[in-house]
Amino acid sequence: MKLETVLQRIPCTIIVKGKGFDELDLRSIVASDLMSDVLTAVDDRFLIVTSLNSEQVIRTADIVGAPAVLLVNGKQPQNGMVRLAEEFGITLLSTPLPTYKVCYLLGCFLESK
Amino acid sequence: MSTIPINTQESPPFLLDLIYRLKVKDVMTKEVITAQRETPLRQIQYIMKEKGITGVPITDDEGKRLFGIVSMDDIIRALDGGYIQDPAERWMSRNLIVLEDDMPLQFAISYLDKFRYGRFPVLNKDRELVGIITSRDIIIALLVEVNKEVEKLEQRIVQPPSKPGEEARRIYHVRKYDFENAGKASAGIKKLLMERNLDPKTLRRISVAAYELEMNLIVHSEGGTLTFRLEKDRVEIEAKDRGPGIPDVEQAMEEGFSTANEWIRSLGFGAGMGLPNAKRVSNEFTIDSKVGEGTTVRAVIYLPGQSAS
Ligand SMILES: Nc1ncnc2c1ncn2[C@@H]1O[C@H](COP(=O)(O)OP(=O)(O)OP(=O)(O)O)[C@@H](O)[C@H]1O
Ligand SMILES: [Mg+2]
Repeated sequence: MKLETVLQRIPCTIIVKGKGFDELDLRSIVASDLMSDVLTAVDDRFLIVTSLNSEQVIRTADIVGAPAVLLVNGKQPQNGMVRLAEEFGITLLSTPLPTYKVCYLLGCFLESK
Repeated sequence: MSTIPINTQESPPFLLDLIYRLKVKDVMTKEVITAQRETPLRQIQYIMKEKGITGVPITDDEGKRLFGIVSMDDIIRALDGGYIQDPAERWMSRNLIVLEDDMPLQFAISYLDKFRYGRFPVLNKDRELVGIITSRDIIIALLVEVNKEVEKLEQRIVQPPSKPGEEARRIYHVRKYDFENAGKASAGIKKLLMERNLDPKTLRRISVAAYELEMNLIVHSEGGTLTFRLEKDRVEIEAKDRGPGIPDVEQAMEEGFSTANEWIRSLGFGAGMGLPNAKRVSNEFTIDSKVGEGTTVRAVIYLPGQSAS
């Protein structure tokens, strides 16, 4: 799934354009508000969907090699989060939709493929 | 007012070096709050109150040309003398002691000692007002620099000499609930390994272990150290803390077991997956814990292409 698909299907604002923004390919989605859950993922190159808006999300993304983070429920990033996302080259998005809606919309798309 | 006690020959060379290396312009406040010659003293009194300052330079409309300064003392005298409605021009101090922005900080310190004013306007080469410097500015700047130096010294003291076969070692001090710096130690470890072109899979396993152990120090312990050792065929990460210890290590290792409270969970921790995660990515994993004393967690990850000894 291309990042472009996410941008088309989910109403969201782009906060940080990370490394390779234009041709980003996402292999899957991990949705959680607890970062150790995200750190159990064996894959990399997935989209993190979370309502947690702290620096720890970006640090976690960097460790597991997740190139993009989507904040749900209209959450705005805390101060340090944007700076860190820029430093690590991680794309940061924000949507007013709740987690389940995001997963439903993207899930339908992934299933139909 | 006592003098600032670092302007002497007995001061450590580091401090002397510092006060000559730093320039007035590195330390001064650049957004100067000014007033004009016709501004009533009453209004300057309000400005001081609102901005929490004790001296206001009097300038032209652009805030560049300096004519004088009105200090808190001038305001008190005006209140006493009943002329608080007068324009600043009539009562401002005109005998100004100013500093130049390129002077070393040492000048500002000796001026503060010598002239007993609380602040000095700072001019550039073209005699334009570019800042104002107070003892507060100086104290903050010195503290920042001294802190950096102390940190460097501390690092040097706690890095013990390396053992034979050890290629690198780092010791990070991790404080309880210091979420501001959470993850910096593991980021440092990752950076060090990236410079060594480690394969991404192994790097990720090491990062996960380091991060989980670092977070547990911050979230659950009274504080401690995260030690990283790189040897030819392995990486070892050891988290050692000062308490409180884990009453039931087996239970702590269960997936999903967590004692994290609500506010910790709201920060994104407490899935109860940290220790199992760290174990999963490690080749060797041990926990030693004693309630009331502390916990030591050791994770070893073998490097590929090397059979572990
Ligand atoms: N250094 C430590 N000192 C004291 N207790 C600890 C320490 N590390 C872990 N624990 C205990 O072990 C439990 C499990 O730890 P683990 O890292 O697996 O999960 P967690 O930290 O609670 O949540 P997560 O890591 O998923 O954010 C913790 O909830 C805590 O009670
Ligand atoms: Mg943990």
